[in-house]
This record gives sequence, structure tokens and C-alpha cells, in this order.
Amino acid sequence: MRQASKIAKRLAEAALLILAVIVFNFMLVHLAPGDVVDALSSGAFGDASEEVNARLREQLKLDEPVLVQLCAYIGNVLQGDFGYSPVAKAPVMDLILPRVAPTLLLAISSLAFAVVLGVAIGTYAARRPESGFSHSLTVFSLIGFAMPVFWTGLLLLIVFGVWLQWLPISGMVNLRLPRDATLIERALDVGHHLILPTVSLGVIFLASFSRLARASMLEVLQSDYVRTARAKGLPERTVLYKHALRNGLIPIVTILGMEFGVLLSGAILVETVFAWPGLGRLAFTSVLTRDTSVLLAILTLVSVTVILANALTDIVYRLIDPRLRVPEAT
Amino acid sequence: MKTRTALATLVGLALAQGATAQDDPKLRADNVPPEDRRGGTLVAGQHITVTHPIGTVASGMRNIAGAQLNAGLIRLNDDYEPTPYLATSWEFSDDGRAFSFELHPEARFHDGEDITCTDVAFSVKTSQENHPFKTMFTPVTDVTGGDSKSCTMMLDSEHPALLTALSPGLLPIIPEHVFNDGQDMQSHPRLTADVVGSGPFKLVEWDGNDLIRFERNDDFFIEGLPYLDEIVIDIVADPSTLALGLESGQYDMASLWSGDDIVAAEANPNLKVIDKGFEAIGSIPFIQMNLRHPNLEDVRVRQALAYGYDFDQYNSLVYAGQHRRQCGGIQSQSPFYNPDAECYEHDIEKARALLSDAGYEEGDLTIEVSTYPGQLQTAAEVLKQQWSKIGVNVDIDMHPDEVTMLSEMTAEDSDYQIGLVGLWNWGDPVIGVHRSYNCDNRKVGVAFSNMSWYCNEEVDALLAEAGAELDTEKRKALYFQATDLINEDVPVIYASNEVWYTRMQQDVQNPPDGVWGWMDSWAETWIDR
Amino acid sequence: MSVEREGVEREVVAGAPGVFRAAVDVRERDAAPGRAALGMFLRNRAAVAGAIMMIVILLVSYALPPFVTADKNDFVGGRHTPPLTEGAPLFGTDYLGRDIGLIVMHGGSTTLEVAGFAAVLIVFVGALVGAIAGYHGGWVDKVLMKFTEFFQILPGLLFALVVVALFGASTLTIVLAIGIIAWPPVARQTRSEFMKQKSLEYVKAARAIGASDTRIILSTILPNALPVLIVQITLAMGTAILFEAGLSFLGLGDADSLSWGYYVGLNRQYFLVNWWGVTLPGLMVFLTVLSLSLIGDGIQDAVNPKLRGR
Repeated sequence: MRQASKIAKRLAEAALLILAVIVFNFMLVHLAPGDVVDALSSGAFGDASEEVNARLREQLKLDEPVLVQLCAYIGNVLQGDFGYSPVAKAPVMDLILPRVAPTLLLAISSLAFAVVLGVAIGTYAARRPESGFSHSLTVFSLIGFAMPVFWTGLLLLIVFGVWLQWLPISGMVNLRLPRDATLIERALDVGHHLILPTVSLGVIFLASFSRLARASMLEVLQSDYVRTARAKGLPERTVLYKHALRNGLIPIVTILGMEFGVLLSGAILVETVFAWPGLGRLAFTSVLTRDTSVLLAILTLVSVTVILANALTDIVYRLIDPRLRVPEAT
Repeated sequence: MKTRTALATLVGLALAQGATAQDDPKLRADNVPPEDRRGGTLVAGQHITVTHPIGTVASGMRNIAGAQLNAGLIRLNDDYEPTPYLATSWEFSDDGRAFSFELHPEARFHDGEDITCTDVAFSVKTSQENHPFKTMFTPVTDVTGGDSKSCTMMLDSEHPALLTALSPGLLPIIPEHVFNDGQDMQSHPRLTADVVGSGPFKLVEWDGNDLIRFERNDDFFIEGLPYLDEIVIDIVADPSTLALGLESGQYDMASLWSGDDIVAAEANPNLKVIDKGFEAIGSIPFIQMNLRHPNLEDVRVRQALAYGYDFDQYNSLVYAGQHRRQCGGIQSQSPFYNPDAECYEHDIEKARALLSDAGYEEGDLTIEVSTYPGQLQTAAEVLKQQWSKIGVNVDIDMHPDEVTMLSEMTAEDSDYQIGLVGLWNWGDPVIGVHRSYNCDNRKVGVAFSNMSWYCNEEVDALLAEAGAELDTEKRKALYFQATDLINEDVPVIYASNEVWYTRMQQDVQNPPDGVWGWMDSWAETWIDR
Repeated sequence: MSVEREGVEREVVAGAPGVFRAAVDVRERDAAPGRAALGMFLRNRAAVAGAIMMIVILLVSYALPPFVTADKNDFVGGRHTPPLTEGAPLFGTDYLGRDIGLIVMHGGSTTLEVAGFAAVLIVFVGALVGAIAGYHGGWVDKVLMKFTEFFQILPGLLFALVVVALFGASTLTIVLAIGIIAWPPVARQTRSEFMKQKSLEYVKAARAIGASDTRIILSTILPNALPVLIVQITLAMGTAILFEAGLSFLGLGDADSLSWGYYVGLNRQYFLVNWWGVTLPGLMVFLTVLSLSLIGDGIQDAVNPKLRGR
């Protein structure tokens, strides 16, 4: 079947990209000035012993030809072994794993916030295409794009955390939560802490999603398909939600994959402002401690996630709208 | 002052009999919690990440966590006198070459094993091989006693700094049966996983980045201690978060780095601020000058920069006025500090004259100041302005972090000019002061070594003599001479004496305000709640 | 991504999804030439507002400083003085007692220049890759597009952090890092533009008379693609400014020239007692990027009037 072979092709492309990312990261480290080991352990300055460096050399097979090193590196990464960090004195995966969940939580809730609210606003504007609301949406979307996310975060923090004291100013959990707190209490606590970071991060995408939603909803609402449904006398609500919305969502889904990369990058700034214990904050502190091993691992992981997210949305896109002839995934 | 005379008796005490055994000594015996106030959780906010809590192999802020996890042989009281901890009694031999001590009979590790002389021997050896402060235990050749509780440390020379070095922060006693398996200590997996310690608290959670959790060690050898059930240390780099967390009650205690925060906390009736504590640390921000660089070779240039430095303005701008003046390499609360030493008082005219003598007129000299984000960056900004008033231009060379800056400063033939670093005295000058001036400590690639690349044979001789002098008065005289000479050569301008305040909730009792501050056991801390 | 629906080819184009945004346009193929476009631009109130704001910002950043003799590094007075306080600088003072207004004024040129260099790099590389891919098609196009996709995948800020950790934080590395991240969308836009242009009559004619590819690209297609490129330049500048602000907020910037983002980062730890130190420089970043976006949007609308109101 054409569809299945196209999907397989897409997955193969994704795999190739992942390989390219891994090779690229490998090259980056080797291009850096100085010895690779120095680059990796310079953060352990004063603490790194000869044994650690020797161990690193052995692990990285630095005495072997570059190609062998590369294959070893690729092999390790594919098994999820990102090596040992001489700075943090722990396997890199140990540092990264506990931080994946908080970042994913932040990313997904920001996206959800932006998508849901964006589609709602966009749809509302699409139904009243000539209104002031609709026209101002363009400017509104540009405003959302123009606001630096760390600034937005700080302002929200000042207003809601300091002046009004409605929301917590940092962290993901209340440190004083009793040990015997129930799951619901814990979830509510995290949710409470999640609000400001989510809004800060989501606002960027909210603006563009609403604009996108409006554009595609406008088209769909004027399409033959919808006109037919209306002519048949179907209630406006059905027309809107069942037919138009589903098709209007498609462009948003299309770019979701690409936006994931942007989202994760923006998360670094938001996590720094709100002391959110995720990968973004780990990345930043790793720059401070010059923990190159961790940074590279995060870069690889995030890239892989973005690649997979792209591939996924592409596949989903093909599947949910077979009416669309997609000549080439470009 | 009480502190000085007390410290003067320190060595005298050590030489004589050593403290006699006191059963289960408490340093704060006058403030014991009633039954219903025992237990509870203390949440502390700290601002520096540490990679693991074992202070035997590395130095720094990890000792805050480390002192809860591990015990030391002695503890210093507020008068710098050693008091029993793991060691119940001790004495020096007449020639000062043997130091014998008895270990507490009930002292056990968290896994139930007895703490014996083998563990002390192993800890000392580990420190000698791994810890950056080599001077702490260089004279120690052996620790005898094996698996018993009666030990003797053999020294090959007189070592007045020894007792200070036996504090929980500097020599935490670690289990030989856990660590002595041939693996490299710097990267040993048991540093962070399944940690077995000797102290009042057990490690429950360590994620190396944000959070440290301790729980009470119910088998702690001191009866009744610790008072707290749990300690949570939250690591937050942001002073505002710490401040807000304190205000909102999230933190019981917060470490402090911003002058503005102190001023704000003092005005808050729910909080109390103390400036007691950490005296032994002796933190002195250095304006460190690289004597190898042509711009700074000439002592007149360095002296000019010193005269151009305005402490009062610096203090008020960078620290909201909360630091103290520092005029020598030994911090001003140490008895070895010369209170009559001459300071470089702010004098623009003198500075300009010296520069002129050295051949520099207005605007001729451009100096590069290396720094990194945080208060030391603010400091650089202030220096830039101050030195422009004496006709010197300043370029700020920003590094992303302290580590990168130190790498550059200690690189082979480094051409850094001025670096802003914070150095700590660590109790005895032998431990933290000598290293900045010894000719043989000019080392490539070693942070906090003699980074100015300074060498004065006379100073070296004086320091060596002072380091082995057991008579306190003689020692003082030697240090006074040495620091005066160093001051004339001015390889370093001492920016200030950093006061380490602690802010806390009103109901925190017995906060860790001893001479080691937070880097000592919090076993006697409790919360009146 | 190119999508065909009901026979009318549309482009779902992601404009400059650099670090912080995806503004997506659905675009049709009608174009309005030169002078009419300018007229259209001037009638677009938002675009004009953007242009005026940009002019003001440029004036403040470049025309004003030579006339202001006060040194921005001087400690003028009390610390943390709020704006509009009697006897104190208009925009207040910071943690060292410096005049915030002065610093923000001087910060503009740093911000704009770093962003400007990065934008030039972005557009140059992007346009080059896109032009070649779009014009030649075939396997050249495929290869170049894979190459483009690879760089689009790289998470922006994260990549910049890695580059800084490995190569140090200088203006050069930052400009390069931003450039490497943000060129793909420009490449795509240019490519699609060239793909359309190359099948137009006058291009075919030029080919027929034997003009070289380079000549065709440079003298026939490029001028027509100019409006698109100009829009891309404004978007690239906006992205580059946001990127520079983010990086310097994290501390990776020049400590002597204090760009806006850098200054927000410096003031962050004092925000409890000094919220204006954080708000004002951030506001400048916001306004600059906004005006660039409004201008870019205005040009786009002027060139493609069917997009108005979307």
C-alpha cells in the first residue's frame, strides 16, 4: 500500500536524521579547541584526577582511529549510554532521567494551553471575519511573538507571585508538603506551580496558533464541504465542531512537530526564571559547571525527540486527512 | 577580645592535656528543646550546587551537607577551642610528634559498623591523596590503632594547625570498609549512591542538583541528638527566590549573598538575621593580580590600584554596606591578624602620582579584569568606575562561570591580568592562607594556588617558620611580619571581609552559628513550632 | 511543507521558527508591484506604527548617544531609585546607582549590531541555499532540503549553549550560533519563491536566449524575489534579537556594552526591590521585535493584498 510504504519511508528518514545528529554532536566535541578529554572534564577543574581522565580516554577509545571512536559513540548512544560525567561524578543518564518528566510536563501543558486557547480564539475570530477582534488578532499574534519569554516570565512572576501573591514563585513542589500527602494533593500542588511557567511559555505559541486557526478555519468555513453541510440544515454547532474544527486543526498539527524544538529551547529560559527542575535548567547549570557530557546528551535527546515528533505529526497528518495529496515531505 | 585570647590558649591546651572526656558533649547545652518540640523538618535554602557531600576528597560548600552526613574527630566551639566529638579525649606527646586520641565507644557508621582507628587512618590517607588542601595533613605519616578505639597519629614535624584540620568539615570520617576497594576515590560510586556516613543525619535523597534530604540517625552516638527529624536542603541559585521563599515560609533558613536581602530581612519582624557564624571560614574576596603580566609587574602600578580602590563605595554598592574592611591576607577575626597593619586608604592623588612614576599618564594603562556572573561581576563594574578616576581604563573580561575563569588564570603562562576570586582562610593560616603566597605553590592548572605567581623568599621563610611554631605569641609575630611584607608587595588587593549572615524564621533555635557556621553539625538545631 | 488541496497550490509556510516563534501564513500567489505596494504599506496603520517605532529606536540608539556626554557607568546616586522620582534620573537607577535610561539607550546599538550581523548571516546562507535548491530542483534540491531540515531540527538555544560551552562565549560564537540555527526558514521561503519564478515566462525566455544560470538568478529572479527576502530579513532580525536577548539574559554576552537582554539578566536578582530594571530593557527588546514584525507583516501584505485581515 502506498500509505504504508510512505510511512515506512518517513520513519527511515527519521532514523537517518537521528544518526546525523549523533554524528554531528560527536564532531562538535572533536572540533572544540583542546583535547576532547579536556573539553569533557574541564568542568571538574581541580577535582578531576588522572584516573578519571584515563578512564575517559579508555571509554572514548581516544587512542583508536576516529571512525572507530565514532562507531563506539553511536553504539553507546543507541543503547542509552551517554557515558560518565567527570564534573557531576555520575553517569550522565542518572542526571538526565529524573529531569525529563518535569520538562515534558511543562512542554505538553504549554502546548495544550496554546492549542486549546488558540483554536478557541481563532475559531471565534473566523466566525466574525470582519470584526475588530479579528483584525486585532494579527497584531496580538505579533505581540505574542515579540515578547521575550524570560521577560514575560519575570513580569508574570512579579505581578502574580510577588505583588498579588496568588501563585508560587519557584520550583515544582512545595517542599513542606507532608510525606503522607495523597496523590491528588501532590498533583494539585504541582499544578499550582505549573500555572505561571505554562502561561509564560505558552503565550508565544498562543498568538501564532490563534492566527493560524483563524486562517484555516476561515478557509474551511467557506469550503464546499461546509456549505453543503449547512445547506443540509445541520445545526451550526455540528458544522462547526464536527466538520470545520477537525479540518481546521490540521495545519496546527502539522507544525506541532516543528514547534516542539522551539518549545524545548524556550523551556530553558522559563525553567531558569521559575527554577523548574527540568532539562532546560540542567542544561543551563551544565554550562555554568562546564559539564559538556551532560549538555551533549541533552542536545542529542532533545533533537531525537524533535525528529520523532516531526515524523509522528507527519504520519498522523497523512492518516487523518487522506484527501490531501502530499507529494513530498519537504 | 575573648576570641583572640581563647584561640591563643588553643595550642596551649593541645600541647598540655587535651580536653578530658565529657560524656556526650553539647555545645548548646543551655538551649535544649522540650519534649514536644523535638523532631520536625528544617528546610534550608542554599545557593551553590555541589556534586557530592564527601568533604574528605574535595572542598567547598559541600561541607554544609557533609557535616550532617559525617562526623569529625573534634568540633570547635565559639572560642575556637576543640571539644570532643568522635574523639572523646586526646593529647600531644611532649615533642609534638605524636597525637593520641580515644574514639567514642558508641560511635558507629550508618550501616552499624564500628568507627575505628582504621577508618580514621583511611580518611587521613584519602585526604592526603585527594583533598586540595595538602597542608592539612602533610606532616602526618601514619595513624596507628587498627580496629581499636585508641589511636595515635604520627607526625614528622610540629603541626599547630592539626586540631583545626580535624573539624567535621575538613576531615569527615568516612568508612574504610565501604570505600577501600581500589576504585578511584574521586569517582567512587558510593560518593552519591548508598552513602554510609558517620554523622547525625542519614542521606535519604541526593539528586546532585536541586534537592538534598536527610533524616535523623537514631543511633547517633551522642545521646538525645539530633533534635530534628529531617533536613531538606533546596539548592537555588537565585537570591530573589531564596528571599521570597523565606518570606513565604517555604524556607526556615537561607544562606545569604545579597546586601539588599539582609537589609530587607532585618526589617521583617518574622525573620531574624544573625551575623554570627562562619568566622573560621574567613572569606576574603581577592582582587588578584598577575605579576607575570607586563602591566602589573611594577609594584608601583599595583600600589596605585590599591590606593585607587575605594572600599566604602565598593562596600555600599556591591554589598549594601554589609561587609567589613580587610587589610591583610589573614582575615580580620583571626588572632593572627595584625590590627595595626597599614591599610591602603583610598587616595586618588597618591595613586596618580605612583602611576606617573611608573610611566603611565591618564588613559595610558588599560587593565583587563576577569570575572563571572554574580556579585563579582558587580564588583568588576564598580572597579571599572573607581579606577577610571585614577586614569586607568578597565575592560571587563566575562567568563560564563568561575571554573572557566580559574582555568584561564592557572593556565601555562597565563596572561590574565586581574581576576576576581573569593578565597577562604579555612581556620588556620596554614590551611588557607599560605597557599596564595608560597613560591612553591605557583602551580599550573591548580585552582586557588598562588595564582598571582608571587614569590618573595623572605615571606616564604617567615610563613614556613610560622607554620611550625607552636608558641602562639611567636606565631603571631611571624605572621604579622609576613603579612606586612606581603602588603608592601601587594600581589593581591583585599576587597573586603565577607560577612556570612544567616536569615531564618524567628522560631529556629540553635542555628548553626558556630565558627564553621553551616559547615558544622546541625544536630543541636531545633524549631520552636 | 507543500500541500496541494483542490488543485490550488498553497504553501503552509513556517516563518522563522527560530527559538521563539512560529508565525504561519497561508499565502496565495497574487502580487502587487512596486509603487502600489508602497501605497498599501502606508495605509496599513499597524505597519506604519511599526515603522515609526523602529525609526525612534534607531534614533535613540544611534543619533542620540553622541550628544549625551554622561557616562553610563557612573554611579549617579542612590541605588534602586524608582522612575519619576524627584531629583533622580527619569528612568530610575539600578543596583549600583547607575542611570537606567542611559544604559538602555547605549544598549540598543549592541543589541542591534549583534542581531544585525546574525541576520545578515541568516539571510545570506538561507537565501543562497534556497535559491540554488529552488532553481535547480532535482537531486540538488533534495540534498539541500535534507541539509536544511537537519539544521531546522537542532533545538536553537540548546545548541547555542553547547557551542558556548565548547568554544567560549564571544560575539563571534554567538553570531555564528544564531546564524546556524535560524537560516532554514529563510532557505525554505527563498526556495519556494524561486521554484515559482523559474517557471514564469520571462525566465524561460532568458534561458532560451542562453543566459547563464547565475545571471538569471541574480538579475531576473532575485529582484522579483526581493520583497520576500526583505520580509525574511525583518523576521530574521526579530528572531536574532530575541535569540541574543535570551543568550545574554543567561549571562552569555558582553559585560562592557550591556545589551538589553544582558541588562535584564543583571537586574534579575534584584527584581524584588527593583522591578523597573527588569521591565525597561525587556520592553525595548519587545518593542524592537514588534516593530520589525509589524514592518515585515506590512510589506508582506502590501505585496500580497489578499492576505489583509488574516
